[in-house]
Amino acid sequence: MPKNHDYVQHDCDHYDGHRNNHLGKRKYSDGADICIVGAGAAGGVLAYELSKAGFKVVVIDAGPFWNPQTDFASDELSMQSLAWNDTRLVAGSDPLSMGHNNSGRGVGGGTVHFTGVFYRFHESDFMVKTVDGVADDWPIRYEDLEPYYAKIEKDIAVSGPKHFPWGPFQGPYPYPEREPISANALIFREGCAKLGLKSTVAPLAILSAPFDGRPPCINRGFCNQGCLPNAKFSTLIHHIPKAIKHGAEVLSDCMVTHVDVDKTGLVTGVTFVHDDKEYFQKAKITIISAFCIETPRLLLHSACPQFPDGLANSSGMVGKELMTHSAHDIFAKFHDEVRIYKGTPVLAVSQDFYETDQSRGFVRGYTFNAHGSRPLGLAKNLVAKAGIWGQKLYDIMRDYNFFAQITMVGEVLPNVNNSVTLSDEKDEYGMPRPLVTFGYSVNDNKLIAHAVAKANDILEAAGGKPAFVIPDTGHLMGTCRMGNDPSTSVVDGFCRSHDIPNLYICSAAAFVTSGGGNPTETVMAIAARTADHIIEEASKGE
Amino acid sequence: MQENRTRYPGYDLLKEKDHWDDHTRAIVLKRLGPFEKHKFLNQHEADLIAAIAKHILYDERKELLDYVLHHIDNKLSSPIGEDQRKVGTPDQKVLIREGLKALDKLAQKQYGAPFLEVDPQPQLLLLSALAAGKAAPMTEWQTIPQKELFKKLATQITSAYYSHPTVWSEIGYGGPAYPRGYVRVEKGLTDPWEAKRNAQES
Repeated sequence: MPKNHDYVQHDCDHYDGHRNNHLGKRKYSDGADICIVGAGAAGGVLAYELSKAGFKVVVIDAGPFWNPQTDFASDELSMQSLAWNDTRLVAGSDPLSMGHNNSGRGVGGGTVHFTGVFYRFHESDFMVKTVDGVADDWPIRYEDLEPYYAKIEKDIAVSGPKHFPWGPFQGPYPYPEREPISANALIFREGCAKLGLKSTVAPLAILSAPFDGRPPCINRGFCNQGCLPNAKFSTLIHHIPKAIKHGAEVLSDCMVTHVDVDKTGLVTGVTFVHDDKEYFQKAKITIISAFCIETPRLLLHSACPQFPDGLANSSGMVGKELMTHSAHDIFAKFHDEVRIYKGTPVLAVSQDFYETDQSRGFVRGYTFNAHGSRPLGLAKNLVAKAGIWGQKLYDIMRDYNFFAQITMVGEVLPNVNNSVTLSDEKDEYGMPRPLVTFGYSVNDNKLIAHAVAKANDILEAAGGKPAFVIPDTGHLMGTCRMGNDPSTSVVDGFCRSHDIPNLYICSAAAFVTSGGGNPTETVMAIAARTADHIIEEASKGE
Repeated sequence: MQENRTRYPGYDLLKEKDHWDDHTRAIVLKRLGPFEKHKFLNQHEADLIAAIAKHILYDERKELLDYVLHHIDNKLSSPIGEDQRKVGTPDQKVLIREGLKALDKLAQKQYGAPFLEVDPQPQLLLLSALAAGKAAPMTEWQTIPQKELFKKLATQITSAYYSHPTVWSEIGYGGPAYPRGYVRVEKGLTDPWEAKRNAQES
C-alpha cells in the first residue's frame, strides 16, 4: 500500500447520525467555503480533496446515503432504484434510454452502479480538431491530466495489466490484473488472438487484492447493482467517508432546485428541498457536479434578471452538445456454455480500433469490452431496443447460457442539435422536466457499423455463430463544455465558469468530445485537477 | 407453448436460498406470492395485460403471470418516475389505461369482439401491428402512440418475468451469490451448486 496513504478509520458503509436530522442545525448553516451539488464521481473527489485541504465543504445530493449491506441486493429489478428514475422527456432521431442506462442517484452517483472499467483517454482525444479536423480541441491536453490520472489510479488501487498496449500510458497499474478471467472474457481474447488483434485483461476500479480495509472481488457479478462486498470502488465507500472524516458534511435526500445569485452577479449558494421544506445553503464557491442532464437543467432553471438565459450561459452553450457513447451489444451463440452472468462483467478489452484510420471511412474510433449480462438486462434490452419478443425472445432466453457478448464503446461526435433544454412539463418540485434530444451523425453510424462487423468477426473466430445485435448507448458527456473562448464554451480548463468567477461546473458535463472509452477515470482526474486549482487560487488569496 | 422449457430439468435455484444474504432472499421470495389486491389495475385491465403477456413471454403459467401483474400494478401505483418518456407520449398511467381501452376498440373494429374474446392468433396479429406502429387507423393513436404503448407493456412484462426465480432456474442462471461469490469462473468450470445440463443433451 502506498506510503502516507489516507486509511479509512471507520466502518466505511454508512453514516447514520453524521447529518443532524434537523436541517436547521446543520454543520455549516452559517455558510460553507465550498458547496458541491452532486456526490458522484466528480463530487466525491472534489469533496475529499477540498475538505482535506481544510475547506469547509458541504455536499448536497438528491438521493439517499446508501448502506451497501442493507440497501444493495443481488437482484437487477430491485436495484433499478440506484438510478435516477425521475422522468426525462426524450426526443430526436435516436432518443436516449435514461435511468439505469446512464444516470445514478444518491451518494456515490453513477460510481455505485458502473462496471468499474477504468481507462485514461488518449492524447488524440484532447485535440480532435487538430488531428481529425472535426469537433473541437479541449483547452487542456493529456499532459495536463496525466498526474491526476496517476494519482486517482493510486488512490483507489486500480487493478490492471502490467503492460497496456494502447495510448500514452502503458502500465503497470498499481494492483495486479484480475485473475482468473471469465469464459466470456477468454472467448473474446481467443477471438482477438486468432485475428491478430491485441487484447488485455481490463483495467478496473475493482480490487484484485485487499486494500484500505476492503476485500478483493469475489466474482459475484453484480457490479451494476451495487457492490455488496465493497470490492468495487465507488465514491460512496471511498472518497465521501474520507471527506466526512476531514470535516465535510453530506446532505443526502436533498434536491437542489436553484442556484442563487446576488446583485453583483456572484453565486451566494443554493436552495434545496428536503421533505417538502425549502432551505438555503450559503457558500463562497459553488460547484455543480450533477452530471449532464441535471447540471444544465439547474443552470437554465436558475435564470434571473442578471442572467436571463440561465447561469453561465452567455455563450448559449449550456445544455448543448450532449454526447453519449454508442454501446451496441453483439452476441454470438456457442456450442458450449459461456454463462455470461459469472464474474465481473468486463474482464477483457481491446483498443485496437481506438484511433482514426482513414481507410475505414470515418473518423475516431472505439473500444471493445467483453461484457457480461444478466437475465433482466438482456431480456429487457431485447424487447425495448432490438424489438424481439414472443417465441423468438423465449428461444434466445432458453439458451441464455450459450451466448457470448462484446460491447462497443464508440466515440460520438459533438453536435449542437443534441441538447438538454427545459420542457413545459413540471416535476414534483415545480421544476421544468428536462427535454433530452439526441440523434447519431453519419460518422457515428459508420463507426457503429464497423464495430458491429468487427465484433462479429472476433466472436466467429472464437468459434461462435453471430446471433443478434442490441443497439444501445452508454454514458453521457457534454452540455457545459470547457474551452478558452467564452463565446463558445461554458467553463475554462479548470471547470470555472467564464461568466461567474465563484461558480464551477465539474463533471462529464465539461467534456468537449466523448472519447472512445469509458469516461469515469477522466471525470475523476478532471475533478482532482479542479480541486488543486481551487486550493491554489485560495492560497493566492483570491 | 408448454414444451420442455429448460435445458436444466433438475435445477432449482431456490435450493440455494440459504446461501444468500437476507436482503436479497427477502426480495426474491416475495415474488412467489401471495400478492395483495391490485391498487391501480381493475380486473379487466389485469386480464388484458395477462393475455398480452402470454404472447410477449410465450408462456401461460398463472403463477408467473400473477407476479407480472403484481409488478406492473406496483409500478403504476408508485410516484417514482419512468426514467424516460418520449415526447408526445402521456404518463405511463394514462398510456396503459387508455392504451388498453384502445386495444379493445381495435379488436372490436378488426374482429368484431373485444381483445379477450378474440382467438390467440388474431390477438398476436393485433400486437404485432401495435409493435410495428401499423395498427388500423383510429383517433386514439393520436394521443396513445402505438409503439410506445407496446414497448411500455412489453418492457414491464419482460422485466418482471425474467426476475422470477422459476424462470431463473429454467434458463440455468446462477443468480444471487453473496456472500459466497463464484469461485470457478473459468471457461468450462462451474461451481458445484450451479445448473448442470441434462446429460442426454448434446
